[in-house]
Amino acid sequence: MLDVSTISSTIVSGVLLGGILALTALGLSIVLGVMRLVNLAHGDFLVVGAYAGLFFLQFTGIDPLLGVPAVAVFVGLLALPVYRLLLAPLANRGAEAQMMTMFAVSIILENAFVLAFSADTRSIARDYATVPLTLGPVTFPLIYLIGFVISVSLILAVHWLVSATAFGRDLRASAVDAEAAATLGVDVKRVQMLTFALGAACAGVGGTLIGAAFQFSPSSGAAYLLNSLAVVVLGGLGSVIGTLVGGIALGTLQSIGGLALGDGYRDLVGMAVFLLVLAFRPDGFLARGRT
Amino acid sequence: MSEAVASCPHRFRAPGAGLVEVAVLVGALAVLWFAPDFAGDYWLQLGFRTFIFIALAQGWNLMAGSAGLVSLGTSCFVGLGAYVTFGLLNRLSLPLPLALLICAIAGGALAALVSPALFRLRGLYFTVGTLALAELLRLLMVIVSAFGGASGIFLQEDPPALPVLFRYALVVALIASLAMTLCARTRISVILRAVRDDEDAAAQMGVRPYRVKLGAFVLASALAAMAGGIQAVKLGAIEPYGMFGLQWSIDVLSMVIIGGVGMRLGPVVGALFAVALGEMLADYPELHIAITGAILIVLIRFAPHGVVGLGAKLPLTRRMPA
Repeated sequence: MLDVSTISSTIVSGVLLGGILALTALGLSIVLGVMRLVNLAHGDFLVVGAYAGLFFLQFTGIDPLLGVPAVAVFVGLLALPVYRLLLAPLANRGAEAQMMTMFAVSIILENAFVLAFSADTRSIARDYATVPLTLGPVTFPLIYLIGFVISVSLILAVHWLVSATAFGRDLRASAVDAEAAATLGVDVKRVQMLTFALGAACAGVGGTLIGAAFQFSPSSGAAYLLNSLAVVVLGGLGSVIGTLVGGIALGTLQSIGGLALGDGYRDLVGMAVFLLVLAFRPDGFLARGRT
Repeated sequence: MSEAVASCPHRFRAPGAGLVEVAVLVGALAVLWFAPDFAGDYWLQLGFRTFIFIALAQGWNLMAGSAGLVSLGTSCFVGLGAYVTFGLLNRLSLPLPLALLICAIAGGALAALVSPALFRLRGLYFTVGTLALAELLRLLMVIVSAFGGASGIFLQEDPPALPVLFRYALVVALIASLAMTLCARTRISVILRAVRDDEDAAAQMGVRPYRVKLGAFVLASALAAMAGGIQAVKLGAIEPYGMFGLQWSIDVLSMVIIGGVGMRLGPVVGALFAVALGEMLADYPELHIAITGAILIVLIRFAPHGVVGLGAKLPLTRRMPA
């Protein structure tokens, strides 16, 4: 059973899925870096993205993968009022107030999904999603490759945005020292708002991709959040490329774990990795090379 | 939130206040002990749930309000308590009080075991670490068939009657409240507050923040495990999705925030509020949680000391500063 083909296919699938994981984690990571906020509703933003992709397909008939920009803009725009109305007023109240507010948003969203769309498990069904792609001994679903390409392109785009633009300079300055940045004329509130929207947009796109590659339900958010957190601690805080490497590492570990122990262990691997990294390497395995 | 709590006015401390508090608690126990003689089953059910919530909320309030540890892992210790209790009752046929005692020890031991990982980075990581721990344990219970897998396990003996369970829950809530009195009315309260407000400064003064936080976490976890054990016995059958469900953590967090983080009466008021709201919206579970979320957002923004904090601001109840 465990021949070369199975093992290599598993590893390749893991790497490809890791790219999607990295995209979702990136959204969490930049918000954590700039706002010092663990967005506990991050997983639910993913689910918003998955539903957005699903309904986009149903109502327009346009393939959700072509509609990815629309999903990104939609989820990003939804995040703006969340920041303005809920988070900005708590800016001087310490990290816990904002975090618990996002926790409240998370439970509201999850239950609103159930009320609006029922608790059913869904997936964005596309023909090509299940088409197996064979390259030599390696076989994997085509959607994994598509998701990987979209995710990595977006991650590189964000990397460029953070490292080479004026907005990125403000973002990095705010992440290092918000007060000092404000003194030097950076509009920290605006940077935080745009970062929060960008993080939500990453989650939204990741949600659409996950919705096309797997299934999702209103309660999927917690598992997505924890997987993203595992990637963030693996890759080190605030590093865009580190997040990509962390995502690929976690995706591979999860796939190998799933193969060796059974599919039910996939999420378990993510959480175990998260706690182990926290215990032994709290700065992440790739702590150098921060952006 | 910690800054907000720090600005909370200091209460006037009379030397005998701690004893008065103990007397009030023991008096409440004596009165409520006989509640099953007059109250109907419906009220006993509500009372049972309130006591379980009080036990959980007292521990959570100690962690968040006094030591600055915001936990999303209550379900992990509730679930642990449930499974340990069933194991002890089913396999070893231990008497229930002994089983609950072992439960508390197991909860505290798990907290101590995972604390090196959870306390590694401050603040935010504790919260997400506890969340990950709870999910990890739940998935383990689902997967490992020795623990009954996804379908769970049954209690082999008949569970005690409702009045007996009511009294057990009452005692657990009393133990939790007495423990909080001990923490609040002795030197411990000063140490806790010092660590919460400025860990580094406290360390400079010779306080060991790690030990203080560990103590609060272990105590809260032991209480949660006991509460989980008694809840499991009442249910008679447990499964991982219920006992390790995030719902426990949501309930406890919202009770304490609604009641008032760091306020002595916060957990009790919050627990009563949560039970009342739950009864009103019993037929609409999703709406119930969504409304709870909305209440949380409003209270965190406008009333960081919760309902108790609002009450203390009313002119009639305002105390003179000491």
